[in-house]
Amino acid sequence: MNPNNLLIPVLLPLLLALFSFLLPGSVKRLREAVSVLGAALFVYVAVSFFGQKETLLTVPWMGHGIDFELRLYQFSQFILLAVSGFTFLIALYSTVRMAGHARLREYYGYLFLTAAMSAGAVLANNFVPLVFFWEGLLITLYALITVGGRGAHRTAVKAFLIGGFCDFCMILGIAILWSQTGTLRLSDISVVPQGLTAVSFYLMMIGAVAKAGSMPFHTWIPDAAVDAPVTVMAFIPAALEKLLGIYMLSRICLDLFQIEVNSAPALVLMTLGALTIVLAVFMALIQKDLKKLLSFHAVSQVGYMMLGVGTAVPIGIAGGIFHMINHAMYKSGLFLAAGSVEQQAGTTELKKLGGLARSMPLTALGFLVCAAAISGIWPLNGFVSKEMVFHGSYETGYTVFTVAAWLGAILTFASFLKAGHSVFFGPRAMENAQVHENKPPVTLAILALAALCVLFGVWNALPLKLFIQPILAGHPGAAGEHLDFTAHALAVFNPIALISMGCLLVALGLHLFGFKRGGNKAYLASEPIHRLPVLHTIYDLAEARVFDLYEQGIKGLQALSRFLFRFVDRPIDAFYEKVVVGVGRAASGAIRAAHNGLYANYLAWTIGGLAIIAWAIGALLR
Amino acid sequence: MSLKKTMAQNIQTIIILTIFVPIIGSFTIPLAGLISKKARSFWSVLLALATTASSMLLIPFALRGGELAFRKVLGLGVDFIVVADALSVFMAVASSFIGALIVVYSLGYIGHEENQSEYYFIVLLFIGSMMGLVFSANLVFLYLFWEIAALACWRLIGFYRVREYVLKADKAFLVTFFGAVAMLLGFILVYAQTGTFDLTAMRGTAIPGIAVLLILMGMFSKSATVPLHTWLPDAGVAPTTVTALLHAAVLVKIGVYAFARLFCWTFRIPEGWQEAIPVLAVVSSLVAAAAAVVETDLKRILAYSTVSQIGYIFLGFAVMNPMGVSGSLLFILMHGLAKAGLFLCAGIVIHATGERDIRRLGGQIKNMPWTAAAFIFCAFSVIGIPPFGGFFSKFMVIVATVQSGRVWVAAAALFAAVLTMYYLFKVFSAVFMGEPAGHGHKEGTRSMVFVVVTLAVLSLLAGLLVAYPTKLANVAAGEILRWMK
Repeated sequence: MNPNNLLIPVLLPLLLALFSFLLPGSVKRLREAVSVLGAALFVYVAVSFFGQKETLLTVPWMGHGIDFELRLYQFSQFILLAVSGFTFLIALYSTVRMAGHARLREYYGYLFLTAAMSAGAVLANNFVPLVFFWEGLLITLYALITVGGRGAHRTAVKAFLIGGFCDFCMILGIAILWSQTGTLRLSDISVVPQGLTAVSFYLMMIGAVAKAGSMPFHTWIPDAAVDAPVTVMAFIPAALEKLLGIYMLSRICLDLFQIEVNSAPALVLMTLGALTIVLAVFMALIQKDLKKLLSFHAVSQVGYMMLGVGTAVPIGIAGGIFHMINHAMYKSGLFLAAGSVEQQAGTTELKKLGGLARSMPLTALGFLVCAAAISGIWPLNGFVSKEMVFHGSYETGYTVFTVAAWLGAILTFASFLKAGHSVFFGPRAMENAQVHENKPPVTLAILALAALCVLFGVWNALPLKLFIQPILAGHPGAAGEHLDFTAHALAVFNPIALISMGCLLVALGLHLFGFKRGGNKAYLASEPIHRLPVLHTIYDLAEARVFDLYEQGIKGLQALSRFLFRFVDRPIDAFYEKVVVGVGRAASGAIRAAHNGLYANYLAWTIGGLAIIAWAIGALLR
Repeated sequence: MSLKKTMAQNIQTIIILTIFVPIIGSFTIPLAGLISKKARSFWSVLLALATTASSMLLIPFALRGGELAFRKVLGLGVDFIVVADALSVFMAVASSFIGALIVVYSLGYIGHEENQSEYYFIVLLFIGSMMGLVFSANLVFLYLFWEIAALACWRLIGFYRVREYVLKADKAFLVTFFGAVAMLLGFILVYAQTGTFDLTAMRGTAIPGIAVLLILMGMFSKSATVPLHTWLPDAGVAPTTVTALLHAAVLVKIGVYAFARLFCWTFRIPEGWQEAIPVLAVVSSLVAAAAAVVETDLKRILAYSTVSQIGYIFLGFAVMNPMGVSGSLLFILMHGLAKAGLFLCAGIVIHATGERDIRRLGGQIKNMPWTAAAFIFCAFSVIGIPPFGGFFSKFMVIVATVQSGRVWVAAAALFAAVLTMYYLFKVFSAVFMGEPAGHGHKEGTRSMVFVVVTLAVLSLLAGLLVAYPTKLANVAAGEILRWMK
């Protein structure tokens, strides 16, 4: 393939973005048509790139080893395919969901800019273009959240600041890695993390997992779920950021650094993953709004991917990467379904919804399949990838991580039982009387994602052999290992799978118990857990944002700033304003006092001066 | 041979024009003012554009790596020596270009004030003294232009003639003058050691620490670096065009330029100072960023932000590796564009609302969409977010700092960048978002909006087309650090 073709996945969405920006705001249909068709073309490009031989494009850029380098190989082909697919589905869905929005022009523009920069970040083979695209995504994310309306700006700033902080960490990590290895080319780097390079690993890891939405860098996601357009949630935090973040994390763990099983970096990553799974799912469980509930799951699920990659065991890594694509599909599908419900019923509050399965059968079907997939129900894709992560974490010998993952599975299923039950079953809420099914582009997008969830589960050999195994095979860390994971992907009769199934039963029990206790109201099903003695206090603190690192961090920044201002900057200024002026006044006052106009006084000065001169001359002559 | 000679003569002519067109031209502005207001405005813009154009003519020469020094013997060992190389050309183009844009913006901003002839006269004199300073390769002339700039700055800060403002102008003048005198003492120490003021003859000379300290005081006072910085936020009483010109784009770059010319290009400074200056720079960056977080006056925030960003420029030069020097040179350009844009956006807001306290502003995006967009673009560039130009310069400075083995300094610098991000977003939210405070404010004249949008677009283009300025910066970095090899 001609290396210059590598620019197409970046330039095509860029052109589409420019087109949307330049087209007058009054033009609606043409913009939508071009967006959907353009996105379809983007998919075509990505498909035609798939399976191509490794291609490298190098354009000299800024000197100092900073070249504009793109590299197409198994991993980037796969992510590119996924990025283009999501871009297409979101563009299709937006034709209905965003129709009539006041800022449509910007919306499509930023959407395609996001796609362009994601494609660039995935293809980049030099750290500088990588950071260029990676950090540039902050701007489009910020802009897309603000499209949500007036109240959204605060959340947009929050997302930007958190992302910016983590990207700066990554930049520092890259700078350290560069100074240690002497090269910026990703494909040339493979180091053992020790000393400074270990610091570099952790800093880059922060950048990668924060992009994916890991704790504690996640707190903008639930806020955005409320403020941002739902399509943005389905596109960015649910799909693209997971793809990019976990892609980067895998690159870091597989080829940039050589991570041994159960080495310190691996344990840190697994711990962070396990904590993210458990803490976020606890938050998800008690949410009363469908979009917020989904957003906490978008955080929680990252934990599985991090745990999987952090095991550094082939099956775990493969599971983590497979979980990434699976999650992108079902979480995007869930958000789109929630958006469809929101559009038709006017709300996503669980309390106000109910019995929608009959009036919105297609949306309901899509939602239920995706919910089953995220809960890890046999034989959907979520089951396969979660099992791989369980196996991988079990293989490391640290069973505690496996247990955490199982705990997460219980609560995930419990919360989706609650959500699905509240929205689609039970008695129909009064407000929902007139609700009916959404338009075909919406249901098509949702059902396509649901179908993929089934496909990737039942025919898991397809994605595993086509996508995942080549990725692992291409990396030095996994060379020579046995890389066929399809054999027992859907196997049920092994201890780990049986425990997982048991977890689902426990969740069902919890849900039914809560349902009964809440007076047969599904949206109250999580209350028994919510009201548990100690947990209740923690929940209250969490709702008050006490654990929100952003809120606390901002307070810290302000306190530090006030300290520096009051005790460094102001004293320096006071020195000029008070001390210098005072000394000047005193000196000139003293001299003025000396010039009092008395002859005797001046004579005394003159004689004194003469004496000094005489002494000085004497001293010089001596 | 003769061809080469003609070319050298051409370059010489261009440099002389670049320096003296604005200086001599500035004295003719009051004369033009006698004819009519229009004639004066037109003449001022023409002079500023001519300066920019003639400095730009030097780019091809500088890109080829050309280095040319010529002298006019004046006796007493004080020759007028001019040096044209990538460093001086880069600096001259960046400052004259932004200066010209600000003159255009002034048409709208200053259009209804009194004493306009004085205003344009001083602004052009200032641009001219800047050009002179940039091309001078003689310490005496460097000092001379340095002080002309200080005088112009003093007059411009006190432009509104309010007693309080004049006091602030005095403060600015006294602090920078104090620094300049210290610097002059440093120059004398250097002279005592080498017997010359000619920079081209002193390349690679090791100078004593005390001389470094004295000269550094001059640079720090001019470039408003902690602890000689507080005159800069106070100088915000000047017309916004002036703050943009002096405090963002041009004046504060004098100090960092002198740093590059003297401490990188010419002298070899003691080990201890090589270790200390990066730390001083980053401390300055942090303290000023913190002050910007606390302040609530729009212009004072931006002024502190300038102090903070200057720290990065010093940092990049001070680590003395090619990446750092290139990064800092780019930084001068990128920061000049973006910060001038921010100040001028602030000018539009202040002009329209008469309010400078961000707590009493809000919702202006409705009235001033273009200004708001230009502000956020420039803010992205100052923070260092791709694809804006500021990203590359900041990235290079940080990377260079790490490469020189100062990981902690780089971490502190990045922390200052986090603060930058925080306070710029705070300002943007407070001024342009939220509930509208007051209503029906007009956005300002067309020339004002045109200039801020131009600066914002240039900040973006400087990022997308970063390869071009980088080429020149890399050439300059190579020349500057030649003695290190």
